[in-house]
Amino acid sequence: MRNLWPALLCLLAACGGNFSNEDLEYLNALPSREALASKLPGTDTSSGSGLAQRRDRLVVGDISQLYIDTRKASADFNASLDSLLGLLENIRTVPPTTREPDRRTWGPWPDRNQPGHQVRFLMDRAGDSFDYRLQFKPSAAGEEAWWSFLEGSFKADAGIRVGEGELHLFIDDAVAQGLNVGGLRGLKQLDVGYQNKALPTRVEMIFSAQPTPPLTTATQVRYNYRELPGGLGEMRFLLTDTDAVPGNLREDVEITSRWTPNSGGVATFVILQGDLLGASYRECWDAQNKVTFAKRSWELFGIGKGSDCPDLSGFDG
Amino acid sequence: MRTRRHLGALALALLLATTVQAEPMRRFALVIGNDEGGSDTRPLSYAREDARKMHGLLSRLGGVSLGDARLLLNEEAQDVLTTLSNLEASIKAAQARGERTALLVYYSGHAKDGALRLGVTRLPFDTFKRRLADAPADIRIAILDSCRSGALTRTKGARRAPAFEIDSGATRDARGLVILTSSSADEDSQESDAIGGSYFSHHLSSGLLGDADRSGDGQVTLFEAYSHAYARTVADTAASSAGPQHPTFSYDLAGNGDLVITSLRASEGLVVPRTAPVGAYYFVNPGGLVVAELEKAPDTERRVALAPGTYRVKRRMEDRLRIGEVEVRRGQETVLEESRLRDAPFSDDPVKGARGRGSFWTAGLTGGYHSFFNRSIRETLFLSVPMLGAEANLHNYFREDWVWSFDVALGGRAAMLNLESLTGASYRYSALHLGTSLTTEWHVGDLAPFAGARLTYLYMGRKFDGAVFPDQFYSTFSPGLVAGLRYRLLRSLHLTGRGRIHYLTYNVHEQGAANPNSSLGFWELAALVTYEL
Repeated sequence: MRNLWPALLCLLAACGGNFSNEDLEYLNALPSREALASKLPGTDTSSGSGLAQRRDRLVVGDISQLYIDTRKASADFNASLDSLLGLLENIRTVPPTTREPDRRTWGPWPDRNQPGHQVRFLMDRAGDSFDYRLQFKPSAAGEEAWWSFLEGSFKADAGIRVGEGELHLFIDDAVAQGLNVGGLRGLKQLDVGYQNKALPTRVEMIFSAQPTPPLTTATQVRYNYRELPGGLGEMRFLLTDTDAVPGNLREDVEITSRWTPNSGGVATFVILQGDLLGASYRECWDAQNKVTFAKRSWELFGIGKGSDCPDLSGFDG
Repeated sequence: MRTRRHLGALALALLLATTVQAEPMRRFALVIGNDEGGSDTRPLSYAREDARKMHGLLSRLGGVSLGDARLLLNEEAQDVLTTLSNLEASIKAAQARGERTALLVYYSGHAKDGALRLGVTRLPFDTFKRRLADAPADIRIAILDSCRSGALTRTKGARRAPAFEIDSGATRDARGLVILTSSSADEDSQESDAIGGSYFSHHLSSGLLGDADRSGDGQVTLFEAYSHAYARTVADTAASSAGPQHPTFSYDLAGNGDLVITSLRASEGLVVPRTAPVGAYYFVNPGGLVVAELEKAPDTERRVALAPGTYRVKRRMEDRLRIGEVEVRRGQETVLEESRLRDAPFSDDPVKGARGRGSFWTAGLTGGYHSFFNRSIRETLFLSVPMLGAEANLHNYFREDWVWSFDVALGGRAAMLNLESLTGASYRYSALHLGTSLTTEWHVGDLAPFAGARLTYLYMGRKFDGAVFPDQFYSTFSPGLVAGLRYRLLRSLHLTGRGRIHYLTYNVHEQGAANPNSSLGFWELAALVTYEL
């Protein structure tokens, strides 16, 4: 009764809202691109086009090809994060539909992008641990028909989206359920694990691809990104089916790039498959991304001086 | 008491009836009006206005030329004495030319603790009285419309003023000195918004305009004016909260006779013919104020020396009003014809009072602080913030001393989230309040404590830096109580200290769980400066 008059007045005016601290804590459990993206120096200001032209003979002062490869890997890494986290963006823009003890639910709503399907997003909380699921079901089906396209978890450690989490995108399930997954169709599953509560932060992304005939097993592509104190960064990634060295075969190469915020970086690759199996290559670049030192494992001397490579002792700790 | 009153009036009337002054006399006037009386007095509303009216009336009807009249508004005691000295010099010069002279001093303002209060300065009664007694004019008349002004006419030793005070013993040492006061030595003089002036000055002016001319000779003498003002002032104030107000009259006109103050037989004004219906007539100016009244007796012609202009005329009857409009032209006598009046219900009364049925607006600016009672809420959800705002107040609209207020206030500050699992997100918190209040106030001198109820529409929002989280808001209606104290700094300027407490329902929480934060309360403290429009 004591709320009657305010309630009646609120019928005549805009009352209510989304002002909630608890909602913020739930939203904080959802990863953002900014928190997980690779931060390779120069990726936001320079373009890779035109720099990837391989010359017959590498000389000191050329643009580092491994830097270019690293930048492409970083861009791919961030683009994949974008497409994955884009699924969660809409959740941030609308308040929860239902607030229950230790649970928030958005939806269910008809999904305009997936005709005939309903979508909902559930988040459960236990203390500072959160689990979330993006679920779909055919519109006409009952509650038991909900299935998860995306699942994730997060353990908060104060700070804005600071903690440890993982999320998984079940693409093969989505395809089986008749969902239009667009450009993800070639993948079976996408898994992301991350930790950003303390340096060095870590983001691991695993792309599991659908087996390509005549192969019967799924292939995997892994990206591992680390960020260390002082702006140091590391990206470990696999390049497959690339022409890395002269020969008849194309190579699979694992590249580990480490960079400093303003004095260049160092990359090494190891040939995992193809010509010169087991051979490795090390290349250093300066702040302008130009080669300062390069040496193949079978060469006695490389080009440039090894002492011109940036100090990466910070990675040893 | 009634016997004493009648005897006093009869004695004075017999004394003066045969000695009406007709000899030419040059008249000088010093008219003083001061609304302010110092820190321990409440500013008056109409003292200056009463002085202006009296100055105009004496100049127009009282035989005082403009060059011999001085009008002092809100001036200090020294200005009064200086102006009085200048007039005395003029009087002496006139006397040197063989002219008989009269000096009339009118004062409307504060008087307290044995002195006239002229702003922050004081003019002791004794000094004032001595200056009057020593003034060189053949007749000196002082009219004081101020609280406890009767002390000026009181003989030594305290005594209660009779119902009709005529004091001929106080001025035996000052022949030709007359003092009229608006109240006795222990009474307040009262003002009225309905008539837009003090009771005494209003009835004195109305009497001088013609209502006091009971003899019908077209002249109003000092005693006629006083008798009229006395009767009407006592009658009008009898039922007031301050009690009846008794004017006093002190005289020693030996050898001078009664003095004609105004002459109504000028070539302009309003004539109420012999055939006009009897009753009380009221003449109302375009502002809704009664400028003159007239009690019409059977078979008598009466004159009202209204200044040129348009007036609404009202005659009050038992069951209705008779109202009409009359234009008094310069240089012409206008006869009020009954055919110009029409019947009207009491609701069409043309008398509006000084502020249009007593209601008026004030507008002001506020600065304050707003905070929720619950510590957790005010530190993490709806923050404590300073507020700045504006408001408009409608006074006396529903009833006397009720105030209907409309207010808007904005507040905000930068803050940082500090939650169990989330810290460090900086944001801008803002609050908007749109409210209306209905309060009643009680006037105690310059202070007016007030209390009442209010309803506010609240909008509270926060915007996160870098858009790390979506904007959030909450809006609702919130009932509350308000109380405070208003202090009148100047006549039209008020300073208010105010507190409010409010209740609101917060419903952005989990369903199916007991939430201790569903019912919230907050308080506000504010200072307010308002200006009377």
